[in-house]
Amino acid sequence: MPLGGVIFIVIFIALFGAFLLWVASKTGGKSIYHPIKYEPYECGIPSLEKKDTKVSVKYYLTAILFILFDIEIIFMYPWATSFREFISTGQGAFVFVSMIVFLAIFIFGLFWEVKSKALEWD
Amino acid sequence: MTADAFLFWFLAIVTLVSGLSVILLANPIYSALCLAMTMVGVSALFVTLNAYFIAGVQLIVYAGAVMVLFVMVIMLFDLKKDLQAFTRGILSGALKIASVGLLAGLVVGAIAISTGLLAEKTTDNPVTMGTGMESTKALGNILFSKYIFGFEALGVLLLVIAVGAVALARSKGGTHEQ
Amino acid sequence: MGMGKDIFEITVNGLKLVVIFLMMVQAVPILVWLERRGSAFIQNRLGPNRVGPLGLMQLLADAVKFLTKENFVPDTAKPLLYYAAPVFALIPGAVAFSAIPMSTPIHIDAFEMFGSSWGPYTFLVQGYDIGVGIVFILGVSSLAAYTLLMAGWGSGNKYSLMGALRASAQTISYELALGLSIVGVIMLYGTFNLMDMTMAQQGPLHFAFMGHTVTANWLPNWGIFYQPLAAILFFTTTFAESNRLPFDLAEGESELVAGFHTEYGGFKFNMFFIGEYGHMMIASGLMALFFFGGFGIPYVSVAQVQEWAASATSTATGASALVALVHFLSFFIKFAFFLWVFIWVRWTLPRFRYDQLMDFGWKTLLPWALANTILTAFVIYIASL
Repeated sequence: MPLGGVIFIVIFIALFGAFLLWVASKTGGKSIYHPIKYEPYECGIPSLEKKDTKVSVKYYLTAILFILFDIEIIFMYPWATSFREFISTGQGAFVFVSMIVFLAIFIFGLFWEVKSKALEWD
Repeated sequence: MTADAFLFWFLAIVTLVSGLSVILLANPIYSALCLAMTMVGVSALFVTLNAYFIAGVQLIVYAGAVMVLFVMVIMLFDLKKDLQAFTRGILSGALKIASVGLLAGLVVGAIAISTGLLAEKTTDNPVTMGTGMESTKALGNILFSKYIFGFEALGVLLLVIAVGAVALARSKGGTHEQ
Repeated sequence: MGMGKDIFEITVNGLKLVVIFLMMVQAVPILVWLERRGSAFIQNRLGPNRVGPLGLMQLLADAVKFLTKENFVPDTAKPLLYYAAPVFALIPGAVAFSAIPMSTPIHIDAFEMFGSSWGPYTFLVQGYDIGVGIVFILGVSSLAAYTLLMAGWGSGNKYSLMGALRASAQTISYELALGLSIVGVIMLYGTFNLMDMTMAQQGPLHFAFMGHTVTANWLPNWGIFYQPLAAILFFTTTFAESNRLPFDLAEGESELVAGFHTEYGGFKFNMFFIGEYGHMMIASGLMALFFFGGFGIPYVSVAQVQEWAASATSTATGASALVALVHFLSFFIKFAFFLWVFIWVRWTLPRFRYDQLMDFGWKTLLPWALANTILTAFVIYIASL
């Protein structure tokens, strides 16, 4: 795998982006400091200082469930590439059934998670 | 210095510096982002070892899923900066890190020697270093022949984790009541 | 493990990577022009048509405007993350796009230059050829979630943060359906390598079914005829991945002002859009590659084109360059068509609400992708009996 090429282009893009930002800051207008202008934008009204904004726990749940299902999908990739080889060596049925069992657990997990309303966004 | 060696040293230094930054930086968001960089560095090191599929999986799962979870959660909680990283000076902190590292090394070494990992070993599944596909197909072969039980057990384990996560979120204030 | 064996090859490969990246950046003004004129055409009005012929210079004027805007960092922002986010927005799109094969490789015979002879080379018309192509592209695209999070946090604005969290939750939800809809295609071709997948889609439609070989000479051997459901699922999820309508709630104007890029003005704002159009280009390129034969020409195999080119030009280098050019045109037509479909859908469909969006990703697309996978595996198994 051409790792050198990937690293080269990543470094090049980072430098290019930094260069673009530098050019933009040089060609931009003079920034005159004014406290109102530099406040965080809130539709033009002075910001309401709420000390503790509650954020839903659903973001955490979405991310955790994403990790789990992503790992299951990752396990399907080697299966998908070697499926035809398994068929040609005569073990197609065994591999297919074992993956169906795995997918059944996956589908059960998804079904349970939907039924338990873990991801109801309102 | 050959190109391979240069690439390895570059990646190793990037990974180590990111890893050290995780524990040395004060701001937790920066620590999490440096950990993500470490994961990307480890993925690149996997590529130098010709484990292409594992490198891709490391990117997808670790750098793209687990670290996103970490960063999202840290943003949700808005932790204050933890400036107590090193109490009572640098020397005390360095001694702490060194002692923990020594202990970890001893434990890992004991396990490795007892399971014969450090002995000279010939693998029973030789993988040809070709394009990325041979190693992936070999992985698929092994997964469905030797480790089929582990594979199915993993599905059940992931289901248990899902149930646990939902139960945890529910008990702490609910997925539905706001 | 690198870019070439000698200095000529390394230089050409490096230049090729830079050119592909700059091409991606330069395609953005063209795409924005197409979007503005196309949306005007769909909405029965004229788009920008004052600046330059057909309004083509509009984007140059816009770029100059962006460059001369004042550059500021809000008080509550963290400057390092605030500036790093637009730069990071460019990286996943360009790195993934360089892995897509756009044409057949170009072979150059040995030639003399600067007094020494440079051996025969093979240059790929792509940035680099990754052995595990699709896994690499998925992995790098999943890093795009960090752009959103860095921008949202670095702005120091709690509405930007909310927008970023919502956008990243949407992105990761649709990555599942994306990864799963590809499994059917991988099973069909048995490889992750994008070049191999393209080469497997040559000639007329033929496959083996229970010992008989079915051939349909009036259809090309494209993926869409084998995996229509996967094509629809893949295309839909890539809309959500690149935050395009109808899934662009995270940056929709009526919701959280402008979502995660509220506090960005001037050229930094533009860089986020280069990233978004980069993701669109990856999606179009992959769509053309998986389901529409990639750079192949329908009904005509690569070998036939090579024969024609060898009879049309004198040198072997010229022949391979001509073949590469013809195939690149084929790829470009399909690629441009899908980019147009992206723009077309944007101005046709209304936006999803956020809970509808998440429900769609988890409860509709994911089960359908699973069904597609199981069905494909079953049919492949049955076909080989």
